[in-house]
Amino acid sequence: MSPSEVQTLNQNRLHFYQLLARVYQHELSQSMIQQLVHVTFPKQTGSAEMDRGYGLLERYFVNHQIAAIEEDLACDYAKVFLAAGETKGNAAFPYESVYTSDEKLVMQQAWADVRAIYGLEKLALDTEMADIKEDHIAVELKFMAYLCEKNNLEAQQTFLKTHLLDWIVDFCEDIRKYSHTDFYRGIADLTVGFLKRDAALIETLQTAAQAPATSFTMANSDFDALIQQWQQHYHVFAPAFVNGRSNQHRPLVRFQEINQVSDIVYDRQSDFSAKEIYYPIMQTMFYFTEHEVKESRLKDDKDYLIFMHPCDINALRRTDTVFMKNGGLTDSYYKRLRDKVKIVMMECTQSCENCFCVSMNSNRSDHYDMAVRFDQHQMNVNVKDPSFLADFQAAQTSDFQPQFISENQATVTLPEINSREELDLAGHLDYWQTFNERCIGCGGCNTVCPTCTCFDTLDVTYDESGKQGERRRVWSSCMLDTFTQTAGGNRARKTPGDNMRFKTLHKVYDYKQRFGEENMCVGCGRCVMRCPKDISFSDTINGFTAAFAQAKQEQAVK
Amino acid sequence: MENIMLPEPHQILDVVKETQAEYTFRVAYDKPTQYNQFFQLSIPKVGEAPISVSGKGNGYLEFTMRKVGRLTEGVFGLDKGDTLFMRGPYGNSFPVADFEGKDLVVICGGTGMSPVKTVLTHFMDHPEISKSVHFIVGFKDINSVLFTDALKTFSEQPKFRTTYCLDNSEAPGFHKGFVTQYIKNVPFADFDDYNVAIVGPPMMMGFSAQECLKNGADPKKIWVSFERRMSCAVGKCGHCKINDTYVCLDGPVFNYTKAAHLFD
Ligand SMILES: Cc1cc2nc3c(=O)[nH]c(=O)nc-3n(C[C@H](O)[C@H](O)[C@H](O)COP(=O)(O)OP(=O)(O)OC[C@H]3O[C@@H](n4cnc5c(N)ncnc54)[C@H](O)[C@@H]3O)c2cc1C
Ligand code: SF4
Ligand code: SF4
Ligand code: FES
Repeated sequence: MSPSEVQTLNQNRLHFYQLLARVYQHELSQSMIQQLVHVTFPKQTGSAEMDRGYGLLERYFVNHQIAAIEEDLACDYAKVFLAAGETKGNAAFPYESVYTSDEKLVMQQAWADVRAIYGLEKLALDTEMADIKEDHIAVELKFMAYLCEKNNLEAQQTFLKTHLLDWIVDFCEDIRKYSHTDFYRGIADLTVGFLKRDAALIETLQTAAQAPATSFTMANSDFDALIQQWQQHYHVFAPAFVNGRSNQHRPLVRFQEINQVSDIVYDRQSDFSAKEIYYPIMQTMFYFTEHEVKESRLKDDKDYLIFMHPCDINALRRTDTVFMKNGGLTDSYYKRLRDKVKIVMMECTQSCENCFCVSMNSNRSDHYDMAVRFDQHQMNVNVKDPSFLADFQAAQTSDFQPQFISENQATVTLPEINSREELDLAGHLDYWQTFNERCIGCGGCNTVCPTCTCFDTLDVTYDESGKQGERRRVWSSCMLDTFTQTAGGNRARKTPGDNMRFKTLHKVYDYKQRFGEENMCVGCGRCVMRCPKDISFSDTINGFTAAFAQAKQEQAVK
Repeated sequence: MENIMLPEPHQILDVVKETQAEYTFRVAYDKPTQYNQFFQLSIPKVGEAPISVSGKGNGYLEFTMRKVGRLTEGVFGLDKGDTLFMRGPYGNSFPVADFEGKDLVVICGGTGMSPVKTVLTHFMDHPEISKSVHFIVGFKDINSVLFTDALKTFSEQPKFRTTYCLDNSEAPGFHKGFVTQYIKNVPFADFDDYNVAIVGPPMMMGFSAQECLKNGADPKKIWVSFERRMSCAVGKCGHCKINDTYVCLDGPVFNYTKAAHLFD
């Protein structure tokens, strides 16, 4: 619950206590009746008793002429609560003492107790209440409203449990017995239902109140100070401008170690993904001499704090799957860096031109340690990882919850491949070979993709004799014409079209087929920006889906 | 944590020259392996490549390698007593337990014989669990013939029907022509229950399987072993992936009913 949600809830509770107190204190006034007649009573409140109560109230107002109500209710009130015209005992006397003392008398122990409690708060009965005693239901309910206002949850819980709930169930049972109107019977149900629910609610609020605030607002300069503080234990990475120009002649944005909020480029898609931080383009696996190998080490002990958008966070799960799940085997080079990653999710304020994350179902994520919204001069932060909370002790709390975009300019329709035979058809479409003239097999699309994981290994020697050196691994790319080449020059996939088919099916079919949960592509749009031949991957998917649907149709006709 | 990419040094116990371009290396090794599994062999500074176990015995494994590129050339420079780095074993194997008590057809080409050699040896050593072994192997020419001694011993086994052939030439003990030409001699119709294992270059495997089907073989009883480019052998590098299948993890052996549907 956010602080504002808690506040609204408390206001509502306070009003409800006041309202109930008023209903019990006197007969209804004409103006109250006028208001009640027009109320649409809630349904499905989550409490069966309250639902029944509201139902009775509704029925009462539907079945009665306004003009007749005041007298009807006044009459019932007098009979039920004041025992007017009744022999003693046939009423619901609204005093706790009556229900908790053996003799069923007013002004017994309970009355003394509540007076003591009110006394501690230096409270005394209003003059307008001079005709009733302190353990009257209306006074006790008013006291609850008072405690709500003071926001003292513990006092509310104690008073509710030791006093109101101790007698109210029997009292309301009597109302049902002695009242002849749906109105007071309904009020009886509402009272019991509400008080029971409130006891549970207070408990929830207590737990929520114990949990520290998790959202904060702070000036950029204060956040800069935090970044500097984090830098002692983390490499703080975020998309930032680097030298160079993209294919669209825009300045290049790449994940870099940053020092301050103003370094972060948060409002456009980066040209490269965050992948290179936890899965470096090139990394040394081990060092060797002629007779032994020695595993490489990380350059330092620092962890990594990475500012990333939801698409990249979702992509992380895909690379996790390949490196840590596929074949039940874990790649330790990946894991040793991956375990060090903490995520700061950057809210997307708008969809970038080439993104199609909504179609790929990766526009949202709740997998983060902190989430941020950039807001001109201030930062809004939601903290999930409690270990970061201490950093925000001095910060102003807020209601901030990250929002997600729900629409892109670009959309894709995925193919519906339902069988091995249909996959055969999808894989052998002429459509694929149309890429032979267009794609130059540069592999740029794989390089920028946050979900591409393929690599080659490469041995490097330090001296002429070649007795000492290291084995590295380097990103590879399924779009390169040598990707499947074996000794002797044979290639399993021979044309750029074959490669495009392989990549496309991998991204929007194979991966999901193998691992179940989701497609590999997260629709980040980077490959679309990157391609020197203007091959858009979203267009490629859509073109494939259309060609496949047509082929299916033609097959059906035959 | 365990590093699945880290090779271990193993000593070379012996080197046997099979042909001009193919050597068998006997390497000290004492853990269990299955039939047709492979290892990533590597020489620091040169690289790493998948090589099948072609023979095994007490405390050793054998690898038969064809000199085709950087790594295999590097290995050829090694000698008895030198160190070879390996990690593995990887991959699945032929369902050899299922082959027992039935007729077995083995069709292979060139180095493709290495991975099935241990299977053949198994049935030779245990004739009581074998009904018959029909073994067809082809080599390019007489200079490319591998495992000459083993070929001779196999041909002498009462339960073995062997057919050895050379692509374009004849020689004593060898027919002329491709293995596919001799598949029609396999009496599939007479078999009660049987299995077919095919290993070799991709084209050869495809045509051989077709030929078996033409001769009445049941696709469910045919097993093929795929050779794909591999960098990691542990499902990470992506090189061996075909459709949703990783050859290094799910193969290299596939039943033909699955293999026929995989496309590159
Ligand atoms: C499961 C399996 C079992 C094999 N068993 C044997 C065997 O028992 N005997 C044998 O001689 N050969 C075998 N091969 C083929 C052997 O792996 C290649 O001939 C070898 O990789 C060539 O490496 P190179 O470095 O000498 O050649 P290069 O052409 O220099 O190769 C460079 C790199 O490409 C990769 N590569 C090249 N060709 C292949 C290939 N055919 N398969 C996989 N990766 C390749 C390797 O990563 C190699 O390090 C097997 C292949 C596989 C997949
Ligand atoms: S395939 Fe393209 S759009 Fe999909 S995740 Fe990779 S780079 Fe992003
Ligand atoms: S699709 Fe474009 S970026 Fe990818 S390999 Fe082909 S030309 Fe290069
Ligand atoms: S060889 Fe690397 S994934 Fe199979």
